[in-house]
Amino acid sequence: MRSPAVYAVLLVMLICCTATVCHAEQEILIGLIPEENIFNQMARHKPLASYLSDRLKTKVRFTILSRYGDVMDRFMTRKMDGAFFGVFTGVLAMEKLDAEPIAHPVNSDGTSDVQSYIFVRKDSNIRNAADMQGKRIAFVDRATVTGYLFALSYLKENGITDPKKYFREISFTGSHGSAIYAVLDGRADIGTAKSKIFQMLVAKDHIIKDELVIIKRSKNLPDTTLFLRKDMPKNIRDRIREILLSMHNDKDGREVLHKLDAKMFSEAKKGDFSYFQELAQKAGITPRTYNYR
Amino acid sequence: MKKRLIYSLSLLFLLFSIGAGLTMLYTYRITRDLESVINLHRIEIIRQSFVINIQTVQSNLYATGTVFGKELDTIVDNVSTMDDSIHNCKSCHHNRDMTERLNNVDNMIQQYKDAISYLVTSTANEERIERLKVVAVGIGDSLLSKTQEMATIADATLRTKTFEAINAINKSRMILILTLVTSLLLALGIAMTLTRQITRPVTELANAARMIASGRLGYKTEYRDKTEFGEVAESFNAMSSALQVEREKTDRYIEQLSGLYKVTISFYDIMDIEQSLHEICSNISSILKADRTTLILLDEEQNAFRPAASSQGQEKAASDMTISMQDVVEMYQLSDGMPVIMDGETGGEFHSIAPGPEEKNAITAWMVTKENILGMIRVSSKEEGFSEEDSRLLVILASHMSVAMENAELYSNLQARMVELRETQEQLIQSAKLAAIGELASNVAHEINNPLTSIIGFTELSKEDDDIEAIRKSLDIIEKESLRARDIVKQLLNFARKKPLNLAEIMINDIIREVISFSSSQTRMGRVKVIEELGELPPAAGDADQLKQVFLNLITNSIHAMPDGGTLRVATSLMGEYILTTFSDTGHGIPETVRQRIFEPFFTTKKEKGTGLGLSISYRIIQDHGGRIDVESEEGKGTTFIVRLPKKT
Repeated sequence: MRSPAVYAVLLVMLICCTATVCHAEQEILIGLIPEENIFNQMARHKPLASYLSDRLKTKVRFTILSRYGDVMDRFMTRKMDGAFFGVFTGVLAMEKLDAEPIAHPVNSDGTSDVQSYIFVRKDSNIRNAADMQGKRIAFVDRATVTGYLFALSYLKENGITDPKKYFREISFTGSHGSAIYAVLDGRADIGTAKSKIFQMLVAKDHIIKDELVIIKRSKNLPDTTLFLRKDMPKNIRDRIREILLSMHNDKDGREVLHKLDAKMFSEAKKGDFSYFQELAQKAGITPRTYNYR
Repeated sequence: MKKRLIYSLSLLFLLFSIGAGLTMLYTYRITRDLESVINLHRIEIIRQSFVINIQTVQSNLYATGTVFGKELDTIVDNVSTMDDSIHNCKSCHHNRDMTERLNNVDNMIQQYKDAISYLVTSTANEERIERLKVVAVGIGDSLLSKTQEMATIADATLRTKTFEAINAINKSRMILILTLVTSLLLALGIAMTLTRQITRPVTELANAARMIASGRLGYKTEYRDKTEFGEVAESFNAMSSALQVEREKTDRYIEQLSGLYKVTISFYDIMDIEQSLHEICSNISSILKADRTTLILLDEEQNAFRPAASSQGQEKAASDMTISMQDVVEMYQLSDGMPVIMDGETGGEFHSIAPGPEEKNAITAWMVTKENILGMIRVSSKEEGFSEEDSRLLVILASHMSVAMENAELYSNLQARMVELRETQEQLIQSAKLAAIGELASNVAHEINNPLTSIIGFTELSKEDDDIEAIRKSLDIIEKESLRARDIVKQLLNFARKKPLNLAEIMINDIIREVISFSSSQTRMGRVKVIEELGELPPAAGDADQLKQVFLNLITNSIHAMPDGGTLRVATSLMGEYILTTFSDTGHGIPETVRQRIFEPFFTTKKEKGTGLGLSISYRIIQDHGGRIDVESEEGKGTTFIVRLPKKT
């Protein structure tokens, strides 16, 4: 029989070895909140991971955060170093995870903002909040401004305080693309999604433009922004920011940006998210205590 | 042959080209088939990988609840790989059916991606999530069955293709072996035929060349064909014939040259013209292969040309024609000095030397010197007629004959002059002998007359004298003079009677030293200093006693030449084949007039002291040894006698 001390020593050694291996395989893990088809989204972001890995001399990997609502939890449990968050999740990350906004992509047309659309099928009779009663509505996720919070504030503005009673069915598609296709396929009557994803899918699939109609647009909101944990070494954060902000200056960087449908990266600041407060107030949401599950 | 070679080599090249072409063609086919099989295997690997990807995603979908964590990365990676695989497959060329199937699979993958994406990102109740999962898993299962279906088709295709490839390989191998064997056999056949066609004429020509080398000029090879070898054989036969002709011509020339040499030699042996001319005529007939040759020479007495000799003998020659000098000169001028051929067609104008009734034809060449026409050589009756070649040969013979005739005449004149010279010389010798004897007798008489005069004088005095003492003194003088006369006679006898040489190996330096030693009292009394400069000498063959006599005589003469004393330098040295011994004194020298006569017997300048025989005896002794004595002298300064004796061989 061996003594417990021997097992303790072995356990310490195992932990040390594991730590060494982990250190040897050190990587920067960045999450992507699902905006469209996750496979297409991953395909668009893969070149950026390679570009950052090459410049940082450290492996950078992207992973899909399956559902908006769970984003914060899984950010914690999977020990992510950062994530591309939307406005809502970005505010949550700043509030709950003490994350720092780094940069956000500038669209090919030079704009860096997005809007939230509320859309229906053209062949439906729904054109305002009153027409929506008893219909099926598809939100993206509770933790998204463009896919939920703007629509919720719109409903509240129009006197609809209890959506569960007002709509026949409420669904959360998890991604902006899914919400758009849910309405297009007739699985929902009303949908809400980010304008950038909507336009991107319209460019790929003209049926969307032909069969859907936008009945409400929000003010401009900042697009998906890269946030990094503040406990990440500052030099690495600065280096990542520097790479992203200058990548449009070299040929490889421009190719990567093209695949992201972006022109360049622009520096992100906390002030970019002030519109969220207005919407949250209208919707009656307090971010620090908001249960987004 | 050149064409055959070109055709054969072209055929060989064609065979190898066909072989190489077939090899390349079948190698290409085999490679293509094998590549096709390999590609099918690759497709199978892709398909299996594809199946694994689907199964992995399916298992993740089954295993995962409503919340996706790390496993989502696995799902994304596998589905992306599937997507890449199907696009990879579609990029290849396929038939319509397969393209349709692949498009179908691609569509299903897109549906699968949408379904999974929808499932993964949807936030709904469990029932709805489960419904979405069933949809995604259903598409995955359909994909699996579709893939299996395609695998069955691919497997059948793979089997068919593998079977076809193996068959093609076996067929190609067989064709390649057949091509190789056929090419080899054909190449061997061509090579053997070609070799035989080349070696046969070469062997024939080599054999013919050997025949010619062994002396069979004119040998002709039997080989005939229309190739270059045939042309070579024809040229070879022509060359052989030409060689034979040239050989015959050369033989003929050699024969003529031999005859010419024989005749020419006999020209220079002519001592008796009469005896030799007939023989020469016969030889000329023989060289020119003619029946008759007549030598027509100038008879100075008659001033006309008459046959002097004939190849048919003296009698025949004597009976022939006589041609006047005028006719001959005219004919010579008419012919311009060239030989005249008369054969009924040419030479009709030369009547005097025209062929006689018994003669078929004739050729006449002129024998001339610078100034005179000596005669003609007329050759007649040659069966095939006289040629230009005969003409040239006869000119040479006539020319040699002219020179020989001239030489013979010169020789005859020389002989006459020699006889005259010999007779004159004998007369001169006789006169010189008589003069010499007279002089000798005069000298002897003079030498003996002096003592005789004294003897007679003192004898007469003694007869008249009564004083015995005076008579005794007279008798002493008579005795002394008698002895002197006896010495003269004795020396004369010695001179007259040659003493035979007693030759032995001697060293000249030893003899010199002995003689100098022997005469030392004499030189001392004469206050003569003797300097010896004796070089290193080889032995000589000589009579030591006689040479001592010579050297002693020369030393004595030198002492006498220096009455007030002086220096005598005696030196020896080797000069070529001779040993030189010089005796140089510092005396009064010898005048030129005296020097010319000093070796004559009884010539002396010493009055009573000498007999005049010493130097002449010395001269003769040295001559007998094969050497010589020379004298060099300058009046008032001295004299040098140089004795040269041959070294022993």
